[in-house]
Amino acid sequence: MTTLSPPSNKQASPSASPKLQPVTGQQPKSSVRVAILGCGQIADAHLSQIQRIKFAETVAVCDSLEDLAYQAAARFNVPAMFTDWREMLQQAQPDVVHLATPAHTHAALAIELMKAGVHVYVEKPFTLDVNEADRVLAVARETGKAICVGHDQLFDPVWLRVKQLVAQGAIGSVGFVESVLGYPINGQFGKLVASDPNHSVRRLPGGLFQNTISHPLYRMTDYLTDEVPTLIGGWERNTEFDFPTELHVSLLGEKVNGTLTFSTRIPPQRITRVYGEKGTLTVDFDTQVIRREARPRLPGAFAKLEAPLQHVTESVRNLTRNLWRFAWGDIHYFAGMKTLFEQFYRSIMHGSEPPIPAIEIRRVTHIMDQIFDHCRRQEGGQA
Amino acid sequence: MSTAKRVCLTGATGFLGRRLVPRLLNEQDVTVRCLVRNSSDVDPLLGVLSAEQQSRIEFVRGDMRDAEYLKQGLDSCDVLYHLAAALGGSTSTLFLNTVVPTRQLLDVAHAQGVGRFVLVSSLGVYGTAGLRNWQQVDETCPLDPQPERRDPYSFSKVRQEQVAREFSQKTGLPLVIVRPGVIFGEGRPLITSRVGLSVGPLLVRMGGSHSLPYTYVENCAEALKLAGLTPGVEGETFNVVDEGFLTGHQLVRYVRRHGQKKWSVWVPGMCIQPLSWMYETYSWLSSGQLPPVITPYRSAAIWKPLRYSSSNAKAKLNWQPPFTVEQSLERTIAG
Repeated sequence: MTTLSPPSNKQASPSASPKLQPVTGQQPKSSVRVAILGCGQIADAHLSQIQRIKFAETVAVCDSLEDLAYQAAARFNVPAMFTDWREMLQQAQPDVVHLATPAHTHAALAIELMKAGVHVYVEKPFTLDVNEADRVLAVARETGKAICVGHDQLFDPVWLRVKQLVAQGAIGSVGFVESVLGYPINGQFGKLVASDPNHSVRRLPGGLFQNTISHPLYRMTDYLTDEVPTLIGGWERNTEFDFPTELHVSLLGEKVNGTLTFSTRIPPQRITRVYGEKGTLTVDFDTQVIRREARPRLPGAFAKLEAPLQHVTESVRNLTRNLWRFAWGDIHYFAGMKTLFEQFYRSIMHGSEPPIPAIEIRRVTHIMDQIFDHCRRQEGGQA
Repeated sequence: MSTAKRVCLTGATGFLGRRLVPRLLNEQDVTVRCLVRNSSDVDPLLGVLSAEQQSRIEFVRGDMRDAEYLKQGLDSCDVLYHLAAALGGSTSTLFLNTVVPTRQLLDVAHAQGVGRFVLVSSLGVYGTAGLRNWQQVDETCPLDPQPERRDPYSFSKVRQEQVAREFSQKTGLPLVIVRPGVIFGEGRPLITSRVGLSVGPLLVRMGGSHSLPYTYVENCAEALKLAGLTPGVEGETFNVVDEGFLTGHQLVRYVRRHGQKKWSVWVPGMCIQPLSWMYETYSWLSSGQLPPVITPYRSAAIWKPLRYSSSNAKAKLNWQPPFTVEQSLERTIAG
């Protein structure tokens, strides 16, 4: 028996007890029934963001470990929990399943879920490699089920603003993108991965990087549109660890170049800088700040005054924007995730194109494969 | 007290385990087997043992998720002390590293015929939000009925206890539960969330008129030793707090007197609930822009003035804390 007793549910709001919805029954056409498969840390982000979407309802959570399913259901007031996903589909009848399991399980589970009749949202990384991605996308076409990948930072408010500014010509045409991810190995998750040689992340083809570099990479590939960019650089091992912990690669495309840096030696940070012919836009996802720097228009020594003045103006603009957003309760770490979920669910409800095209899912996976192959060759001295 | 016992431990190299092991080895005819991770450093523990004591300790290295390793580790074990638990991280991480391994350990302990399973729980498992101010908290008080509304650590400890109790009732595995208060000692800060919230360099002191439920690590280790070795206490639960410990006000004054700079503002006890309600309401209205880490329920669980009792440990284990409050504070500050 894998269906578990519903947990207590007490905390949807400070003032009122939530109303439980029946697990089964007719699906209202105006809403989406969502289930979560895999109740690790990232599932918390999914559950909290789904709660913010008015037309979505989490109907079940599932994890092979009963205690993980229990804690997620209890905290997020989910009416049913399971340790067997097939039973979950049968009893909870979700429209969409969010796959938040370890990466090596994504392809097989996504294929089985779509064949079982549900749409699937897959956490990053989409699959272990492009061959798996191709198989998953082929099943999506065959079954007519929608599939989405967790490239949520593409829908973060600051990134959407950057895209808007670029589209308006604020920095001219883009020529270079620089993307940095700071990922200290002494953080909670890093420690866990470093101390356990059998950790699932260590066994990924791209190791520690595969689990995270899709974020800085897809921020680059939004502008660098090549399928097979030329690669320079590699990964290296920190002397303390027996696996690679630093990655620095340049991607040379036909029209746009870029650099991707993953470092365990710097504090946590998610920064992307977009260089155009007329200026640059630097976006810091953690502080929700965009800094625009135009090429100085004044000559000689006057330019040295114009640039810092620009910085002051940008600071005032950022402060005003963030104060306004704070006042409206609009600053959320996973804001992009909520927007992506909404767009994905709407595409399901209306039968329209998904927010991230299949071709982009495949391309990012393929470029990751190329990066890891390149780094391995570099390390082996074969390149 | 003991007659040729083989004692096994998880968490032997941790803050409490390092104090428990020497106390166990002070008992004649006790041999100790420590189940430690491959990455654990056992030298600090060995460093405090005599050569004779070192001859009665062994280390078995492995992963607690590996049933074969646990079988080997618990072979011929009379008493198992389960100290290992995650202290920080997300709720799922705490469950993964505390509750899930406990299930595995219970299974193997039962299969191997372990004579007594001593679970180190926490004083935080009580449902104190529902108690009256100044009510006494003893072992008859119920567990928190809504632990999911608490902090991740307390939630994981409540679940761990429930799992252990259910297993013991189902299988008959002899279980003893020890619920220490906040364990302090050399190398750990005295000012904890029980005193107030640290906001950058500032301490926001919350109430502070009641004796804090603290226990000095050496006192706690002594109680724990007794919980494993005292005959006839299977099925018992023991609170472990150093009764008569300082209040929050007194503790802050104490650390200041001993040279630690501590900038603080004080929130009177009567203001804690209204402020917590305001914070939670804002958190809800802003859809979690500020996460609901302060709620009336959580505040009541941590800062409500209550009286914690260790009388059961004193009566049934004959526990007498080896160090007075003054001595334990002096040793902590000096360390």
